[in-house]
Amino acid sequence: MNAVPQTIVPETRHDEENALLEVRGLRTEFRAAGGTVCAVNDVSLAVRRGKVLGVVGESGSGKSVTARSILRMVPEPGRVVGGEVLFEGRDLLGLSEPNMRALRGSEIAMVFQDPQSALNPVLTVGYQVAEALIVHGVDRRTARRRALELLQQVGIPDAERRIDDYPYQFSGGMRQRVVIAIALAGSPSLLIADEPTTALDVTIQAQILRLLGRLRDELDIAVLMITHDMGVVAETCDDVVVMYGGRVVEQGPAEMIFSRQEHPYTADLLKAMPRMDEDGMRRLPAIPGAPPDPAALPSGCAFHPRCRLAEDECRTTVPELAPRGGTGQAAACWVTGRGAAIPPLDRAPADGGDRPGPGGTSLLSVENVRVNVASERRSLFGRPDPVYAVDGVSLSVAGGETVGLVGESGCGKSTLARTIVGINRPAEGTVRVGPDGVDAFTGAGTRPLRSTVQYVFQDPYASLNPRRTVRQSLGEALEMRGVPRGARAAEASELMRRVGLNEGYLDRYPHAFSGGQRQRIGIARALAVQPKVLICDEPVSALDVSIQAQIINLLESLRDDLGLGYLFIAHDLSVVRHLSDRVAVMYLGKIVETGPVDAVYSSPQHPYTVALMSSSPAPDTTARDRERIVLTGDLPSPKNPPSGCRFRTRCPIGPLTHPERRICAEEEPPLAETPHGQLAACHFASEMAVLS
Amino acid sequence: MTTDTETTSGAARRESGGAVRRYLAALRTPRGAIGAGLLGLLVLLAVLAPVLFPGGYDDQGDNALAGASGAHWMGTDELGRDIVARTIFGLRTDLTLLLTAVPASAVIGTLMGLAGVISRWLGAGMQRLLDVILGFPGIVLGMSVVLVLGTGWSALFVSILVIGLPLFGRQARAGLQVEQEREYVLAARVLGVRRRTVLTRHVLPNIVDPIVVNAAVYMVVAVFIEAGLSIVGLGIQPPIPSLGAMLNTGARYLEVHPAYVMGPGLVLLLLTLAFTLLSNALNKAVLRR
Repeated sequence: MNAVPQTIVPETRHDEENALLEVRGLRTEFRAAGGTVCAVNDVSLAVRRGKVLGVVGESGSGKSVTARSILRMVPEPGRVVGGEVLFEGRDLLGLSEPNMRALRGSEIAMVFQDPQSALNPVLTVGYQVAEALIVHGVDRRTARRRALELLQQVGIPDAERRIDDYPYQFSGGMRQRVVIAIALAGSPSLLIADEPTTALDVTIQAQILRLLGRLRDELDIAVLMITHDMGVVAETCDDVVVMYGGRVVEQGPAEMIFSRQEHPYTADLLKAMPRMDEDGMRRLPAIPGAPPDPAALPSGCAFHPRCRLAEDECRTTVPELAPRGGTGQAAACWVTGRGAAIPPLDRAPADGGDRPGPGGTSLLSVENVRVNVASERRSLFGRPDPVYAVDGVSLSVAGGETVGLVGESGCGKSTLARTIVGINRPAEGTVRVGPDGVDAFTGAGTRPLRSTVQYVFQDPYASLNPRRTVRQSLGEALEMRGVPRGARAAEASELMRRVGLNEGYLDRYPHAFSGGQRQRIGIARALAVQPKVLICDEPVSALDVSIQAQIINLLESLRDDLGLGYLFIAHDLSVVRHLSDRVAVMYLGKIVETGPVDAVYSSPQHPYTVALMSSSPAPDTTARDRERIVLTGDLPSPKNPPSGCRFRTRCPIGPLTHPERRICAEEEPPLAETPHGQLAACHFASEMAVLS
Repeated sequence: MTTDTETTSGAARRESGGAVRRYLAALRTPRGAIGAGLLGLLVLLAVLAPVLFPGGYDDQGDNALAGASGAHWMGTDELGRDIVARTIFGLRTDLTLLLTAVPASAVIGTLMGLAGVISRWLGAGMQRLLDVILGFPGIVLGMSVVLVLGTGWSALFVSILVIGLPLFGRQARAGLQVEQEREYVLAARVLGVRRRTVLTRHVLPNIVDPIVVNAAVYMVVAVFIEAGLSIVGLGIQPPIPSLGAMLNTGARYLEVHPAYVMGPGLVLLLLTLAFTLLSNALNKAVLRR
């Protein structure tokens, strides 16, 4: 292990008594057979009373272990081996276990990432909230009354009736509210939230973030928020701690961090993120490499192998966290520590200047497709009522063109994608492929479909067979294209080069690769049949932020070099903006708005599009005070969609606010052209342009 | 084009080879080594039985129920036959039975579990059939087989085979249902790979581990099925020795000649121990992946 430099807790503008929680020199190790892994190394941070501290980092940065170390809940074989955790002046690491248990839940509470597994499915939510009070010595009747208050406080509608419901009767967003209610039960002064909105959709995320902000203001609760999302940090946090390789590399007030970064990692990470307000004419400046494995950290500054400013000193000695500029900001970097500024990083133009651009004939066209997802579940006792997850969708993709498909989970975008490639069968409608428009679901259409359209999956860990080497996986695809056995080796090497991987890795198994590398292999497999169109189903959403830009750039250069058309499915609006030429927004099985990407992003016409954009957090603190449209409620079930306009139950300009607008409930709005050039399915389409 | 700058984080990790290589790795753990060694020793004894005991298993002396002596280490049975010789020949019977019936059960059961690939109805029908088998206690099932086939080796073989079917059939179906939704299986389907190839290339290799572990566990159960049927007199018939039949007869002479049951009992114990250790080791090796 390296010599641990003594960290000087930076002179901050927050005075001592203001800090509710102060962590000093925290060190947590995991002892395993292979050796000791130091997951958290000399971490110091402070949470001020009634403020939100964001701890940001990628996978393996130690952010979650830090949170668990504070609560002394590090999973085996982890152990806190050094440092102090001062909560209101008491060192939590020195407390006895019974005292610590009394403190958890009553003074410090935790909100977990996955509301699905954080609630016990066999107990009612009311009981689970009350239980949090009962274990801290409240009698049953009082506990139930307080549980009801708490459920109302976190915004569960109709709480009196729902208090005796079970978790499965609630949507994901509502469950997360219940989890927060449980956390609030003991009236804690500190809430530790570990990725509280990562499992939720953007419009629901906006609701939960707004709730956390309200609780901070009303109840004066401090929040320690663990997240990987710079947008969430910018929207909600007062202070920020950036972690990398188990250490704090930069910290300070949020406005300072977002306006002037003092660590190259923070600076380059923010630059590498696509922005919703920037078009995709230039490549993203991706950070090379991948976040380090905590078991094999580079010497010196852990970021040096990926840093464009790295010097000899960075490779040998760990820089200490030192204050910068007297504003409470601090960074651990040798180069900027000498006063050098981080040189700006310009986005390189796309290689070859102007890209050929979308043109020519449509290679994939979807016409009026409806997919009944209930048909699979037919049983001995007859067919269930049809459930159309995709209900009459049409779109087309031309060569060299990217069509973005945006929507929240459950809107049917993945079902549509899987139907196009023949995994699901459509109940109605056709899919035509190739320049001749062959119907894909006829006997003669199967071959053209397979050779024209290929699929890139979301989860790079699940899309490769763990039992087969990369060569075998690629070989299977080449075999399907009809490449003779003898020519496959050369083709496989060429594919590896194409996606930016070393051809020497061909005989490795998937587990030897990082997430980004696996995604590259998945892309190579799709390319092996020389398709014309790739369906990319959330190809970057499972990747670390610094890797996303690499994959986005790869997809862009493949599109421009090979003239591929993409149907790019994502929930992240900024990624879609960056890549797409045209965009389609889906809500509950239907396209509600579609058109050229600039028109849709600059003047969205459908209230749902407006709400989606408004809910997406931007990595910019100056955008924090913008007028935001936060949708109420949840996505209705496609089993029983609302009559007329499907969005009317959540629409900010629909019958909810204008009861006289009966047309929304009576008549389904058609996709109609708007003055800005896109199509929108709304009776009052132009109205949102004013709001946005 | 992008360059390869990502570090191969797991490069140092052990490559996971084929199924056989992983099972061999399991044998290198202490449990696996002891289990395999013990089983190897028992198999060797069984194979060498005719060499070790040229007199065979039914050489009747004049001394019935004799105690231990230089000629008969554990004495003789009620007909004056050497107990050690009969135990080893009994072990030979049992091992032949286990090492054929259990794999047969695993293969047929797995195929029944995978029948859903051919048609949904066939798959569902097979599961109901397995449910029916599961509905009968093992001993009742064994007795019905005996009713049809008569007592003897083939009845035991069929009993062990049939009783094991639900175990493997359900395991295979559960695995199939999980694997069918895996993205790499979908990727192969999108490429247009034929169903049969998807099954053998992507599904089977990923569901075989729990089936192999179950087979090792079921070996232990099968020893008890043989013993159980023999104890009620429906197993291997005299004069052929089997461990279960010897325990059955020996129990009658427990007071006068305790060594009678100890011979087959000890071997049964060792056999069970060997399979238990093996299945434990396999399970650990497979889960650690």
